[in-house]
Amino acid sequence: MTRSSMVTSRRRKALRRANVPGLLTMLVLLGLWEILVRFGVTEFQFLPAPSAIARGAERLLRSGDLQGNLLHTLRVTTLGWLAAGLLGISLGLLLGLSNTAWRYSMASIEVMRAIPPVSLVPIALLVFGFSVRMELTIIVFVSAWPVLVNAIAGVRSVRAELVDVSRMLRLSRLAQIRKVILPGAMPSIVVGLRLAMSLSLVLAVVAEMIGNPSGLGHAVIRAQQALQPEDMFAYVLTIGMLGVALNTLLRFVSARVLPSLATGPGDAR
Amino acid sequence: MATRSRPARSFPPLRGLLPLVVLLVIWQAVGSERSPYFPTPSSWVGGLSTLAANGTLWRAAEATLLTFSMALVVATVLGALLGLLVGASKRADRALGPTLEFARALPPAAIVPIAVLLIGYDQRMKVTVVTFATIWPILLNARAGVRSLNPVLLDTAKSLHLSWMDSTRKCTMPALVPAILLGVRVAAPVALVITLLVEIITRVGGLGALIALSQRNYLSAQVYGLILVAGLFSFMVNGLVAALEASVLRRRMSR
Repeated sequence: MTRSSMVTSRRRKALRRANVPGLLTMLVLLGLWEILVRFGVTEFQFLPAPSAIARGAERLLRSGDLQGNLLHTLRVTTLGWLAAGLLGISLGLLLGLSNTAWRYSMASIEVMRAIPPVSLVPIALLVFGFSVRMELTIIVFVSAWPVLVNAIAGVRSVRAELVDVSRMLRLSRLAQIRKVILPGAMPSIVVGLRLAMSLSLVLAVVAEMIGNPSGLGHAVIRAQQALQPEDMFAYVLTIGMLGVALNTLLRFVSARVLPSLATGPGDAR
Repeated sequence: MATRSRPARSFPPLRGLLPLVVLLVIWQAVGSERSPYFPTPSSWVGGLSTLAANGTLWRAAEATLLTFSMALVVATVLGALLGLLVGASKRADRALGPTLEFARALPPAAIVPIAVLLIGYDQRMKVTVVTFATIWPILLNARAGVRSLNPVLLDTAKSLHLSWMDSTRKCTMPALVPAILLGVRVAAPVALVITLLVEIITRVGGLGALIALSQRNYLSAQVYGLILVAGLFSFMVNGLVAALEASVLRRRMSR
């Protein structure tokens, strides 16, 4: 294969990956939405046309409101996610490595995990009031569970022979964890981290909606109560795009770190 | 690996409840009943009993269960239909893919204000939001189910000259129903959480609204008691779902 044909084939592949019909459908749907609203066919009083939403977004971008709120939510989400990840992985190692600890705690974890996470937001509000601390606490508390449970499962799924070999090689406990246990548990941990990321964003938005008065969640509610649907839709779309961006980033990084994961379920295109 | 053949999610040993029990006992011993933040576990019951006595609790539980089940039914029907569509046609799948992908990425909480503004503070709004959030696992499982349909099965139906009705009833449906039910299994716990979420944010009826109201009035014991009830609900849903999964798997095995 010549160099130029390789380039064109790569370009063709990129084009095929770009999914033109998919994007076209999106555009057609947007156009349909615009027309329906323009001609007043919809019964919804507060449904703005896509063009109006775009103008709203532009105004918010120019005033800097969008960036400010986005930055707040992004910061809190990633911070909470990192803390939840650290907490979940370290506790997961502990409980996964010790059979006794597992036996004497797993049932408690299952019970605690069954409590619907959103119902804990009011408690966080009671304890911390309307503050960033409340937002962070709720994010960490909720997002740590999937990491913890997946880390435990991952550690426990590391094959016994591998552990035996590491023992035969007289690896220290720390080296054993670093070289055998963690790599073996990593696929499962990454799944937990991904779940935690989407949970972190959701909980950040929820906490901002009913608790901490800042960030994208609060902006959405404020726009809704002020009957400014253009702003509200612009903020909601921003939240959606933030979710997609964080998810894609995480998927990209985990595919780099763990190539075997790249073709996991749900990634097939 | 003999232990691996047990059902995937059996409950861990019960002695694992010990830390939780110890925590609650210490809480009860050290805590104060009047604490605005951490009222003692015994006071939770008191908070609940006043709500139960005047019937508020039952009405709220009923409203939550109603929204939950209505949304789950709508999501199952819509999700299965959409899933069958994008599963059967590669073209439809590619065309709708990005739109569905983006809709799926929207956090359910962000949908709430839109639904409120377009529909208003009512039952329809609640069901819409919960449906929107729970449709995805059902859709994806139905899609996967269609994709994994054995072509031989369809060819057999064709060569036997089965009518469309018969081939749907005898070949396609038996192969697809388990896939859809597995989607429902994933969707049901989500539906409960989102129902509570909508109720907490909008305060339109149900347990969630009651929790939010109690919190606003600083009735801490009531908040904790209600969260306990929400936890019980979620435990029940998980139990039902596990039973559903077991029955689906058993039918699969017996075929």
